[in-house]
Amino acid sequence: MIASVLPTISPGTLLAGGVTATAASLWLLLPRGQSGAAERTSRWLGTLLGLAALACFVATGHRLGGLGEEAVFLIVSLVAVISGAATVVTRSPVYSAIWFAMALAGVAGVLLVLGAQFLGVATIVVYAGAILVMFLFVLMLAAPAGLAPYDRVSNEPLLSAVAGAVLLGILSLSIGRLTAEPPLCCRMPSKTAAIAGNAAADPVPAASEAGVDLLIENHVARLGGELFGRHLLAVEVAGVLLLVALIGSIAIVSRAASADGTVAPARRAVP
Amino acid sequence: MQDIAPSTLLVLVPLLPLVAAILTVALGRTLGSRAHLPAIAGIAASAAVAITLLVGMAREVGVGGSGHDQPARPVEMVTTLWEWASVPDAQAAGVATATNLSIPVALRLDPLTSTLLVIITCVGLLVAVYSIGYMHGDPGYPRFFVLVSMFVFSMTMLVAASNFLLVYVFWEAVGACSYLLIGFWFTKPEAAKAAKKAFLVNRVGDFGLAVATFLLWMTYGTLNFHDTVLADGTTMPGILGVTRLADASGYVGGVVGTAICLLLLLAACGKSAQLPLHVWLPDAMEGPTPASALIHAATMVTAGIYLVARSAPLFVACPGALTMVSIVGATTALVAALIGTVQNDLKRVLAYSTISQLGYMFASLGTGTLLGFTAAIFHLVTHAFFKALLFLGAGSVMHSMGGVIDMRRFGGLRRIMPITAATFLIGSLALAGVAPFAGFFSKDEILASLHSRGWPDAHGEHHEAVPAGGHALTAGSFHLVSVTPDAGQLAGGGRGSQLDSLNHPSTWRLLFWMSLVTAGLTAFYTFRAVFMTFTGPTRVPEEAGRHSHGAAGSAAHESPPVMTIPLVILAVASAMSGWLLFNSHALATFLAATPSFTAPSVASTATPPAFHWDLAIQGSLAAAAGIVVAALGHLGKRSDGPQMERFLGPLETLFANRFYFDQIYAGLIVKPLEFVATLSAVIDRYLIDGTVDLVARLPFALGAVVRHLQSGLVQRYALAGVIGMLLIVLALVARAMG
Amino acid sequence: MTPAPLVLDGLVVGAILFSLGLVGILARRNLIVMFLCAELMLQGISVSLVAWSRHHGDWGGHVLVIFVLTVAACEAAVALVFVLQAFARTGRLDSAAWQSLRESNLPRTVDHELPAVDVLPLKFPKLTPAGVEPSVDQDALLEREHV
Repeated sequence: MIASVLPTISPGTLLAGGVTATAASLWLLLPRGQSGAAERTSRWLGTLLGLAALACFVATGHRLGGLGEEAVFLIVSLVAVISGAATVVTRSPVYSAIWFAMALAGVAGVLLVLGAQFLGVATIVVYAGAILVMFLFVLMLAAPAGLAPYDRVSNEPLLSAVAGAVLLGILSLSIGRLTAEPPLCCRMPSKTAAIAGNAAADPVPAASEAGVDLLIENHVARLGGELFGRHLLAVEVAGVLLLVALIGSIAIVSRAASADGTVAPARRAVP
Repeated sequence: MQDIAPSTLLVLVPLLPLVAAILTVALGRTLGSRAHLPAIAGIAASAAVAITLLVGMAREVGVGGSGHDQPARPVEMVTTLWEWASVPDAQAAGVATATNLSIPVALRLDPLTSTLLVIITCVGLLVAVYSIGYMHGDPGYPRFFVLVSMFVFSMTMLVAASNFLLVYVFWEAVGACSYLLIGFWFTKPEAAKAAKKAFLVNRVGDFGLAVATFLLWMTYGTLNFHDTVLADGTTMPGILGVTRLADASGYVGGVVGTAICLLLLLAACGKSAQLPLHVWLPDAMEGPTPASALIHAATMVTAGIYLVARSAPLFVACPGALTMVSIVGATTALVAALIGTVQNDLKRVLAYSTISQLGYMFASLGTGTLLGFTAAIFHLVTHAFFKALLFLGAGSVMHSMGGVIDMRRFGGLRRIMPITAATFLIGSLALAGVAPFAGFFSKDEILASLHSRGWPDAHGEHHEAVPAGGHALTAGSFHLVSVTPDAGQLAGGGRGSQLDSLNHPSTWRLLFWMSLVTAGLTAFYTFRAVFMTFTGPTRVPEEAGRHSHGAAGSAAHESPPVMTIPLVILAVASAMSGWLLFNSHALATFLAATPSFTAPSVASTATPPAFHWDLAIQGSLAAAAGIVVAALGHLGKRSDGPQMERFLGPLETLFANRFYFDQIYAGLIVKPLEFVATLSAVIDRYLIDGTVDLVARLPFALGAVVRHLQSGLVQRYALAGVIGMLLIVLALVARAMG
Repeated sequence: MTPAPLVLDGLVVGAILFSLGLVGILARRNLIVMFLCAELMLQGISVSLVAWSRHHGDWGGHVLVIFVLTVAACEAAVALVFVLQAFARTGRLDSAAWQSLRESNLPRTVDHELPAVDVLPLKFPKLTPAGVEPSVDQDALLEREHV
């Protein structure tokens, strides 16, 4: 839609504009120790620039034809991206966490649209339900009264914003090149051949169309089968990892507490 | 005593003083005022052993027999104690095959060594006994006796060593003892300065000896004096060994030989205070008077004489170098005598007299005849006696006068200290060369040896080396060379053959006349000192009573017996030794058996012993003239009155300033060196250190810039990492996109 | 050929989320916000993985995302403990509070241009203290906005 408004602008220009706008908007939005009118101005400017950048990226991305699946994707991805940006730039960590929850919702939507129903739900359940709540607990435990000074300044905002935008530009460039010709740097033997589409006789591209349907049909059962079949060992390792993390956190907490002297002296392992 | 081997006795001579020195070091504080006991006992025993050896050696040589007619056979006895160093397969340039450089600690005994051993130990003993009185109450009393013992040890080792490297070692050890004794009262700035000066000037001579040793090794492939039997049964001829001595072509002449000889002469000049290097000896009088008597009059300064005499065959092979020895000696004798005429310090008069007499000995050595060598040693012996006597007499005067040594401040002392006066007079007569006393005979022999070279026909001798060069040089040019011996020495290595042309009768005639004039001057300054000190109105400096009770001057007294008895003994020796030794020809016969003097080139110059009436008369006349002039000027007059020097005019300034030697050295050597040192210090401090500091500061400055990156903030580190990653990816993308 | 629908869009969304998270990690000083940003980066990765999985038509991306979830949970557990400890030591959640790694002769980096606090501290409603009823000005009571 938007791209149709700007038919004459080449994708390269769009991408460059998007990167620049992203950097500028992030820089403007990041807390830089400003206050009052200046802060408000830069916030507005940043928001506008950010929207413009989004528009650029949307335009460089896929030409969205109609409503349906793609429109849904556009909406949820916009939610995810805007909420993510807000997570990064919001001063108050509490609001930041809430924005992050919003971004999670958007990401879950994106995953759903992309055909990963289980993952979308899992993201909501695990992240928003468990991890994020943990974050909020910690925030409530640890946050000082009022807005801390370190929340109002950033570490090297300009350089960070530019670095992030450049990274985004490179990634977008690579992604945009996927359709035409893969850059040498990411040319990999078999997969790139499939992506580049220069092998008409290759059966994989045909499977790609079918693959989408393949993944949708009987989704969770087959994912479970895959997970506990081919990747059983990895699942076990992940379980061990979780256990280790659990025990590690408890150990660190108890040792630090005893070091503070608030708890009885160091405990010994029971033989 | 018969059942003790001579080698054991020979080892005992240096060993006993060494043990005494160690004992004194260990027990010095315990012994306190008896700290002289080990030294006296050690040196006395050593002297006894040395006399025993001398007697045994004399019996071996056959002195007193009818041995004058046949040529003397070499007598030597070598005791190798242990191998000090050994370098297998060392290659010397002058030797065809690789040899084993081995440095044995070997002691030798031959007539020359045994004579000097007796002199050293006997004079050392007398000086040590005298020091009991002189050094009494000094805080460094034990230290003094340690040093005296060490000195006797080093000196006996020096004359007994049978290896050039060993000689060098003890040459240095003697120099170190001398340094320590001159600087004995090191809290006195003059003494410390004089010690430093003596040491540094001696270094120049030591350098000559070191280089000479290297050259000897390169030339002869060995450093031993004696022949050594190698493991395979062959005999390695030593430098002064019997094998090489018998070989007519055993010694290298030419440029190399002359260089060796001139370097040895340089070493001898340093130790024996000859002309270019004589400046340290007068200043060395800052040390205790017994030390002056022992070291700077009787024994140590004779080390140079010993070295040249020992190396006689080497010198004889190089007529030019030999002549140079005489030129240096005679010039020194004359210059020192001239300086001595205007000194007012009693000890300095004696110091210059020492230099002058050593010059005599060198002049005699330089003749290269057997007569010359034996005459030099003869004069060395008699000089040791009468110069020790004079020094100890001067010390006695100084002791009594409360440390004052300026002759203008006292007079008529013969009434206060008769024994000292009498013995001093005897010593002066001996030094002046008055007829029956020791100096007369030895000086006569020296004059005779010089005369025989100047007028060979008169003595019926024939020297093969005399008409060597054939250059018709005038006497004037000889004179030029003779007054600049140091220049000749420095460049001598390169023109040994040109030096040979100096060996011409007219040179020797000039040297003879110089020596004769010196004899007169010697008599003059000696008796000037005698008259100034012991005659005239009795005057005593006020310092005299300071160290004892009583009013100023009234406490001046004769020295205690422990000081006067050595004076008497030495006086007897000074009076008698010359006549005894000359009349019996014992010393000459005895010394002729020294291996160094049995080389054909030396032994062939032997002459039948004779008393040269004409020379004796000339010498006596010169001495008498000197004494008469001294008597005219000083006999019975106040010593602080007008001096004879007022007739000298501008020359007096020259003499009193010692020919400006010190000033010349200061201007030519010290000042440029100081300038170079200052320059080096500046360069070192600012240029080199500055460069190093710059190199050190460069990383520091760089680090100061980069250090700010290490802020400790992890987010900055992460940012840097991300930027680096981006740069790499950008580079890859850029390459991929062409 | 053209890739499956929405694959490229998914990749772009993943890239954007990843980059945003990176900027947050690099710029924000609050430790908890930094970790939120790390989670954001993980979300970007997850989206990309799912997109690739859709492209290839296999389960690898899905499985990997599950593991990403697992690791994120572990990370959150451990990291939050660390954050709590850090807060216990310094009393703040500031990443710049930890500078011990810096050069020993460098001064500590401090915020020089801290803004004047123009935002009032957050006000939270408070209950009146229990006990004897305080004397209350009735007129004032009437003027209260909230009860």
